[in-house]
Amino acid sequence: MRESTFRDLEAVVTHEHFAEVDLMLRRGRHIGRDDGIVYDYLTEALPFLEPFYQAFRCELVHRTDGYFYLLPMGDGLGRRLLSAGEMLVGQTLALLYLDPATLQHGGVIPRESLLQRLSGFFGAETLIRILNPQKRKFDERVAAEEVRQQVQKALRRLADLGFIELLDQRKRSDDRLRLRSALMRFADPVRGLTDASAALERLVQRGEVALAAQSAEPPAVDPDGEEAS
Amino acid sequence: MNVTDPHRFIASLSRDRVTLDLNTVDLCFLAGLYLRADKAGLASFDEELLVDMFEQVCDVVEPSAENPRLRATKAIQRLRNQRMLARVDGAQLMRAGEYALTRLAASVVEFYIADDALTRESLTLLTATLRVQFAETLALAKKAETEDDWRAVTGPLRVTVADLVSGIERRQRGLDTQQEEIQAEIARLLSTDWFHAVERCQTLLDTTTSTLRELNEVLLRDTLHFVALLQEIQTLAGDDTDAEATVQRVIEHVDRIAAWGSARLHAWSDYYQYVHRYLRDVVRLDPDRALSQRLRDQLVAWAGRPFYAAVADEPSIVLLRPVEARIERPAVARRRVEREVAPEWVEPVDLQTDLEALVDEALERGATTLAEATAYVLARVPEQARYKSAGRVAELVADRSILACEHERPWRDVIDRLEVEDWQLDSEPS
Repeated sequence: MRESTFRDLEAVVTHEHFAEVDLMLRRGRHIGRDDGIVYDYLTEALPFLEPFYQAFRCELVHRTDGYFYLLPMGDGLGRRLLSAGEMLVGQTLALLYLDPATLQHGGVIPRESLLQRLSGFFGAETLIRILNPQKRKFDERVAAEEVRQQVQKALRRLADLGFIELLDQRKRSDDRLRLRSALMRFADPVRGLTDASAALERLVQRGEVALAAQSAEPPAVDPDGEEAS
Repeated sequence: MNVTDPHRFIASLSRDRVTLDLNTVDLCFLAGLYLRADKAGLASFDEELLVDMFEQVCDVVEPSAENPRLRATKAIQRLRNQRMLARVDGAQLMRAGEYALTRLAASVVEFYIADDALTRESLTLLTATLRVQFAETLALAKKAETEDDWRAVTGPLRVTVADLVSGIERRQRGLDTQQEEIQAEIARLLSTDWFHAVERCQTLLDTTTSTLRELNEVLLRDTLHFVALLQEIQTLAGDDTDAEATVQRVIEHVDRIAAWGSARLHAWSDYYQYVHRYLRDVVRLDPDRALSQRLRDQLVAWAGRPFYAAVADEPSIVLLRPVEARIERPAVARRRVEREVAPEWVEPVDLQTDLEALVDEALERGATTLAEATAYVLARVPEQARYKSAGRVAELVADRSILACEHERPWRDVIDRLEVEDWQLDSEPS
């Protein structure tokens, strides 16, 4: 392991990048190699910042995929669970991240490909029901517009959290996204060779994810359109 | 061609309704003609050769097509209409024509044939030639005194230098296309061979990176030198605005070439890093490509057993306002007003009864005309009711008197801007 350039914690917290990085981490931002200098700072400061954040009952996680994030383990710092829309969009983007076809454009995809994938996996109606679980009757055109809005909202939140980068935000019709390595968090339950359910249980115990019953989410709907208990 | 006004040029294209519509057979036909002319050193083709070439192309492209001679005739006409083929003999109806490929057709075919991409060798050769050309032009410029001398300076700049610079730009575009193909090739290799394609992808990446780096180095070094030479020529041009403008155009051209090098290297560097990470973090860690399938399964089953990732969500630090003495502010409320007004006693108004009494009173006082009676009554009636009351007064007077009506009744002033057609009244009541 490379030796840190910092001598002690004081040098770390008085560094010009500390305040910025600390705020980013506390707001749930995933800091990856694409973030450049702040990522380098975190890499250097990791041996000192890990125990620092443990005092707040948080874990500063460093993944080999090349990103950092802060995981609250208790009630020291606030935490939230991603919404159903964010989870669906995040998993689909992770799948696109793994797709070699995405490589051709350096990890940049048009928003339309995401919508096509989502619609291909779930079908328009199931997608509408998952993203708008309160609505039992819907007009197809209005519901489709709502789905697009929900997806756009999820994309903005995922961009705030550092999972993706939104390009061309001014040109609404032609939004492009740059996929970042932090998307691999959505693949965590299936990354190991063990059973996915067991892996999910471990992630739940670690506080990385929560199951539906533990979340404050509205009840999700299964692909057949019936509410899950 | 120097298009001075792009708007006018575009407008003229639109006015002439310029279109290009070439199908695969047309393109193959043109390519066949181009290659035949190149091989046999032909300057033009007679009609028989054209038809023969079209039939050969048809045999390859659409072997089942019927009546190739008719199709050849139509194809030749189509290409002539689109200015791809030109008749060059001028014999009209006298004999069968001689045709040649136009510059447009040759350019289209050359686009598909040419694989001129920028390489270190071709770039070094081109820049060396340019350097010699610039040095010669500078020597001419130093000696130039008359307008003719300057024409000898700008001539090579316009033609020879412009051609050499365009040659570099054309090869740059070729390299751009090559890069796109390499990117597509890497994606294709990984899609088909996944883990086994890693080494080949790495080689493609490294080769392109080193090519771009070398080209950028050559471009940076040589274009700086070119611009210095051109600026010297520009200074010597002094008041000759035409020469100065020509040199300026070449400088801009050279700048564009240099900018291409750094822009492409930068863009490729981003791509290189992304692919490199992908190969290391995704492909090498998942040699069987099982993760995509497992993630796909997870996504499809997610709605049945949803889970949610947790993230830190610490709100911003709350900044408290400075302490200040508590001030009792009066509550915002509407001003209290007594909206219930107490009723007032008013005199009853019965205008009809009053009018009757007043008319009786006027007649008793000896009014002899309608005008006198009306004037008496209206003087005692409120001003706003006078006009309406005038008619009533006439009615009441008519009821109570015998009228001596003249054929032509005179108009008489009664009161304030009011006139009536007068009646004479008899004293005997009716």
